[in-house]
Parts: sequence; C-alpha cells; structure tokens
Amino acid sequence: MNKKELQSTFLRDVKESFVVNIREFGMYIALAAIVIIFTIATRNHVFLSSRNISNLINQAGYIAVLAIGMTLVIILRHIDLSVGYLSGFLGAIVGIAMTVWGIHDSLAIIIVLIVGVIAGLFTGFLVAQMRIPAFVATLAGWLGYRGALQLALIAKGSIAIPNEGFNAIGNGYIPDIPDIGILPGIHKVTLMLGVLLIIFFIFRSISARIKTQSYNFRVMDIKLFIIELILVSALIGGITWILAGFRGLSWTAVVVLVVVLIYNFIMNQTLLGRHIYAVGGNPEAAELSGISVKKITYTVFASMGMLSGLSGILYASRLHSSTTQAGQLFELDAIAAAFVGGASPTGGIGKVTGSVIGALVMMSLTNGMNLMNIDISYQYIVRALVLATAVIFDVATRRAGRGSVSELGK
Amino acid sequence: MAKDVPVVEMRNIRKNFGGVQALRGVDLVLQQNEVLGLVGDNAAGKSTLMKVLSGALIPDRGEILIEGKKVHMSSPWTAHKLGIEMVYQDLALADNLDVSANVFLGHEKPGIRIGPISIMDKHYMERETINLIDRLKIDIPSVRALVEKLSGGQRQAIAIARATGFNNKVTIMDEPTAALSVAAITKVLDLVRKLKEEGNSIIIISHRMEDVYQVSDRMMILRHGRKVRDCPVKGDLDEFREETVAYIIGARDDFAEGRNGDE
Repeated sequence: MNKKELQSTFLRDVKESFVVNIREFGMYIALAAIVIIFTIATRNHVFLSSRNISNLINQAGYIAVLAIGMTLVIILRHIDLSVGYLSGFLGAIVGIAMTVWGIHDSLAIIIVLIVGVIAGLFTGFLVAQMRIPAFVATLAGWLGYRGALQLALIAKGSIAIPNEGFNAIGNGYIPDIPDIGILPGIHKVTLMLGVLLIIFFIFRSISARIKTQSYNFRVMDIKLFIIELILVSALIGGITWILAGFRGLSWTAVVVLVVVLIYNFIMNQTLLGRHIYAVGGNPEAAELSGISVKKITYTVFASMGMLSGLSGILYASRLHSSTTQAGQLFELDAIAAAFVGGASPTGGIGKVTGSVIGALVMMSLTNGMNLMNIDISYQYIVRALVLATAVIFDVATRRAGRGSVSELGK
Repeated sequence: MAKDVPVVEMRNIRKNFGGVQALRGVDLVLQQNEVLGLVGDNAAGKSTLMKVLSGALIPDRGEILIEGKKVHMSSPWTAHKLGIEMVYQDLALADNLDVSANVFLGHEKPGIRIGPISIMDKHYMERETINLIDRLKIDIPSVRALVEKLSGGQRQAIAIARATGFNNKVTIMDEPTAALSVAAITKVLDLVRKLKEEGNSIIIISHRMEDVYQVSDRMMILRHGRKVRDCPVKGDLDEFREETVAYIIGARDDFAEGRNGDE
C-alpha cells in the first residue's frame, strides 16, 4: 500500500466514522463547547476549577441514575413521569427508616431499593398487563407518590438525617493513602484509578480490534484508531486530574460509575439488553421471536423503580435530610438528559453512557449559568433550546443517515 | 423419517371471522423438500390459512399433522418449536439492530451465565451469520450493518435467512417479492431455489404468477376460502398464467363437486 492510498483510507474512515457516529460526536462536541464557554465566561475560570467540577458531578449524580433507567424506558417506547416523586418518597422512607424506626443505614438502603423495585413492578403491571399507556399510568404515579411523600413527612415537614455514614454517600470522598511527599495536595488513589481506567480502556479497545480483524471485518484506519485512543485517554486523564486536585473521587461519582458500568454491560453484552433493544425496535417481531414483551416491560420498569430509590438515597444523603421538596421535577430532568444523550423518541435507540453525558450537559448548563449569575428564567429558556436542538439534531441526522451503510465495526 | 410422509398435512381447516367464512374446509399437503405456490385473489384465504399453520390464528375446525403426527398449534411460539417459520410480508425485523442480531433474534447464543443474566456469545453469532449469509449467497455489506440501512431486497433476504437458519422444517413466505425491484426479486427467487437445494420445504404466497411458476413444484389455488386447484407446475408460462387466472376468477373449479359441507 503506498502513501497516497494510506492517506485516502485514513480520510475515508475519518469521514465515515464521523457520519456514522455524528450523533455521539455531536453530544461530546456540545459538552466540550459548554465547558469551554463557561470556563471563559466565569470569573477566574472558576467553572473548570476542581472544586466546581467535583460539585457538578455530585449534583448530576441523582439525575444521572434516573436518566440511566429512563433510557431503558424510552428505548421501550414508554415514558415514566412518576420517578421524580417516587425518588422523593423513597428518600423520605430511607430517612424515616433510619431515624424513626432505628434501622441500620445499609439495611435501610436495601429496603428502599426493594420498595423501589416493587413500585416499578406495579407500574409495569399497569403498562404491560392492563395495557394502560405509560404516560397515563405514570402520571397517576406522579400524583400518588407526591401525596405519599407529603403524607410520609406530614408530622415534621422534613427529617434531619444525622447518620454520618449515610450522608457520606452524597458528600464524602474515597479515602486516600497517607501523604508520602510526592504530589502534595493531590488525591493519589483517584489518580491511580484514572490510570487503571485508561489502561483498561486501551487494552479493551485493542483486543476488540484484534478480534474484529480476526473475523475479517474491516477495522478503522490505524491512525484514526490511535487518535481515538489518545483523545479518550486524555479525556479520562483530564477529568481525573481535575478531581484529584480537590478531594478526589466522590462516593456519588463511584455509585454513578458502578451503575453505568453495570447497565452498559447489560445493554451491550447480555441477552436481556439485546431483548430490550429488540422490543423497542419492533415489539411484534420480538414477540414472534419468542421474546416476552411483558417480561421485558416489567423488568425495565422494575429497574427504573430501583434507580428511583437510589436517586432518592443520593439526594437525601446530599441534603442530610428527607424533605417534601425532594424529587420535584427530577423526572423531567432525567427525560431531558436521556433525549440530549441520544435516546430516540421513536424507541429502540439510546445508550446508557449517552444519557449520563446528557445529564452532565444539563447540569453543566445550570451550574455554569448559576456561576454567571444568570436569572433562572433565562436558564429555563436556554435549557429548553438545548433540549430542542438535541432532538432536532437527532431527527435530522437519523434521516440523513438512512441509506449510508458502514462496514466499520463498532 | 420416511420420505413419503408429508411434512405438513392440513385437513378440513375452517375459520370464521364473525359472519365471514374465511376458510371453508381447506386441505393442504406439503411434501418433504417441496416448494408449494399458494395463489388466489385478495381475501381468498391464503394468508388466513398460513396464519393457521404458523400458529398466529387458531382454526375453528380441522386438524394439522406435522410429519404425520397430529399437533395442536396454539401460538407462533409452538409453531416455531415444531419447526414452522413464517416470513411476514411486513418484515419482522428490528430495524435498530444489526444483521447478526436480527438473524439470532430470540435465539441468542448464551455464553457465560451470571445468575439470571446471560452474556451473549456475540462472536459465535457473527461467525454463524457470516456462514449462513455466505452459504445462501446473500449480498450484504456486513453482518454488522444496521438493518434499517439495507435495501428492501436485502431485508427480505435477511428475514428469509433468519426463518430458515434454525433447522426448521417448513418456511412460509408471505408475498416475499412484493414491493421489490426486478433485480431484487431475482435474488430472492434465487434464494428460494438455494433453500430447496438444501432440502427445505417451502410454501410461498404470491400475487406474481411468474414467481410461482419459476420456483414452485406444485401450486394450490384458493378462492373464497376453498381450494379450487392443486396441480404440479409445468408447461410454458403463458399457458400456465392463463389457466391460473381462470381458476382465480372462478371460471374453473376442480373441486366444485363432492366438496364436503359447503353452504
């Protein structure tokens, strides 16, 4: 292969992977643009400071876990409006369980997650068994859980949670090894985790590439592949460095990362994930192939309920209390995050990782505009524009993408 | 299995929809490794008959024998387990998934199991899909291509490959060439021939007389829910067409006398 040919495969692959992944690239570019704009616009570039980024990730956490569950619901062509107040209600339950009933923190957490699953199964029953449109069924849930939340806290209005261990989930950071003179003020465990993550990512990418080649599929041009590796590694490295500069990785971030890894694995590698995508893409075909649409619907709503519980726990822990304000509008933030993150309103399409990025985009907007002292009314309008643009971009790129076939392996 | 036992035998199948008699006692026989063309006007009962065979509809009366054994067909899933696969006209493919995912839809190969969660063996499925696609000479860019990005003919081919890919006994194709270009039709018909060569038994519903003529061994014509003709496909195309049309419009009827219990 001479030099000119090499050049042309490189350019073709750049073009092709851009066309195929334009939706994903668009999202990362948007996030990058938001970060750059706010970094320039805020005083002393405070947006990109370690403390602010750390705070931002903690704020995005309880929306991100909801957005992950919502992605699955949206893939199935449903919607869940009840998750906000369910999250608030379950946050109240966890507070009551620990302070009033005197149950140990970890047991209270497990109970709340199980209650979340049961609530989700009930939604699943309404949608799959009774065939009530999810919008209506979960609107009823929205009303019901709102009432339940207020009822649960009717005696005191809010419950202060004194348990330090529990509150650490929303406010604490992973421990560090004692200072040994190198890199003072930098969180070394976080840095090490970041390095491990980069090594893991590079190792997985290379082994996937070798496997793909062994099946005689076309793979990305080697130069583009290396550029991708470098970019992603730099991104992970950058975030790690920023986080390590404050207090390191927060427990919230750890929780979100674990949830992302588990859900991403389930959606991409397991039969369950494949069946969820299949039901979302063509429920009739899935049913005819022997996949139980009902079972999948139950499973997805149950997972949504469980993640609502997790979101409630994260929020209550962050506030050191259960309040009647908890959960308000969480459902809309989660839905917006999922759509910004590339989930398709027509179903069948969406990625867990995308929705987490979507949650970060939406939270960055709020955080950045707060730092700039922009009035809340403008904030809502800006967020509306971002959401609408994301969905318009999605629809437009999907239409343009039709007919262009890529041989590139994922 | 003895060669002379028909792979499918349907006896006196009746199905009413309210007051409409969609099927009025139809008999159907499909021999091993035979391609049967099923022809008839709209509402003649072709699709209803095939839905009965594929388990999507339960007949009011009549019995179905698979390889000589009487079976009770209660759902598409039971039909599937008996080795009967229907390729639907509206293409039962999931557009959001790639080719190998569609070929293995509902039959994903499990690898390692962790409790209730099974990890897919993606590479096995891709390899098997490549083998299947190569064997059937289906022309697609890659087994990793999303189905929504393929042409109508390619999609039809995938749907057929998917139906025949799992050691089935009978493949039913409902209008496999409808809404396809001429080039794509040729490819689909080649695929049908290839499947027959490999020993498949096939029932093909079509409006296009040329297609039935080209690939079928035998032809069955339905009219108003009754069988009016059952004959081997032979002779030249023009004669065949003329004769078939006569049966379709009701000018001729081989079973007019001695039909049991009609009206």
